[in-house]
Amino acid sequence: MGHEYVPEIATDRDGNEYEVQGWQGDFYGGKLGFWLFMLTEVMMFGAMFLALTYYFSLHTADFVNASASLNRYLGGFNTVILLVSALTMGLGLLKMRVGDIKGAKLMIWATIILAIVFLGVKAVEWTAEYNHGVFLGLDALQSGNAHSKPFGEILFFGLYFTMTGLHGFHIIIGIGLMLWLLKRINANKVNQGHHILHFNIALYWDLVHLIWVFVFPYFYMIGAGDVTGGAH
Amino acid sequence: METTNVDYKAERAGYYKVLVGLLLLTAVTFIQPHMFMTDSNFMVQMFIGTVKAWMILIYYMHLKGEKLIGWSVLFSLLLVVFFYIMVIIDVNHFQFLDLSHITSEVTSSGAANASAAH
Repeated sequence: MGHEYVPEIATDRDGNEYEVQGWQGDFYGGKLGFWLFMLTEVMMFGAMFLALTYYFSLHTADFVNASASLNRYLGGFNTVILLVSALTMGLGLLKMRVGDIKGAKLMIWATIILAIVFLGVKAVEWTAEYNHGVFLGLDALQSGNAHSKPFGEILFFGLYFTMTGLHGFHIIIGIGLMLWLLKRINANKVNQGHHILHFNIALYWDLVHLIWVFVFPYFYMIGAGDVTGGAH
Repeated sequence: METTNVDYKAERAGYYKVLVGLLLLTAVTFIQPHMFMTDSNFMVQMFIGTVKAWMILIYYMHLKGEKLIGWSVLFSLLLVVFFYIMVIIDVNHFQFLDLSHITSEVTSSGAANASAAH
């Protein structure tokens, strides 16, 4: 048995046969495939939000009190950062589609910088919480000791660190993808005529933004205003 | 490929319009707990989030005019909603409190906290 090349043949509606040169030009197929991947992400985060909703319904007061102790100005700042980064990513894609490669690269770099700022703010926030004794594994978030927080607050912070952590991991992946995209653009593998990679990475970044749109109010805002239960 | 006939100025203007809309909604997110409907804080926040998500999906993620992908997204979201409803029904009619010490403890303290909050 040899390994001779067998061409793949595609036939159009009129019966004409064409030898398939590759599927790289299948823009819609690439887009559809990436959407299917993103739907699995929705399922994953959906399950986490379901757990969050379940425990929120059981421990409403604890959740509201714990939420009130978060720094919602830092959370809000990060919301705006992600919002602007979604714009720069979108404008970058638009510039790529009209053939402005330099402008597209500039916008991708702007998105990367905004993503790093987001992670920096998150690091400041987590450090402050760690210094207040609130972090995974510390006494306050373990039940059954003198420093233990109420059970509902332990659940809240467990979910808070897990979900914002997983979201932050997606941001890091996104930065890696954007750096890879820049490399592909520099190698002219991504250009005006073939930009599905750019399109899909922009979609990914929008998904990361979309998840934050719900993570932010669920963790930071449910304890805002006069409904804090007098915790702060 | 969809590289031809890109109306750069119109699309860029669209991006900025959506940005302004999202920023305004974010501002509403911030002032709402202090200004209006404070008794329904959670529901209002989730509603604003849903409107923002819809804007992102339709305009930033180019779902406008996408039939197959649009329906796929709707289907998956409905699937998530279905699981939410099933769990909510299950939690409201939980029959095995005495068989699960974890659930029993959580439910009783949770009920006390929940009633204290209202």
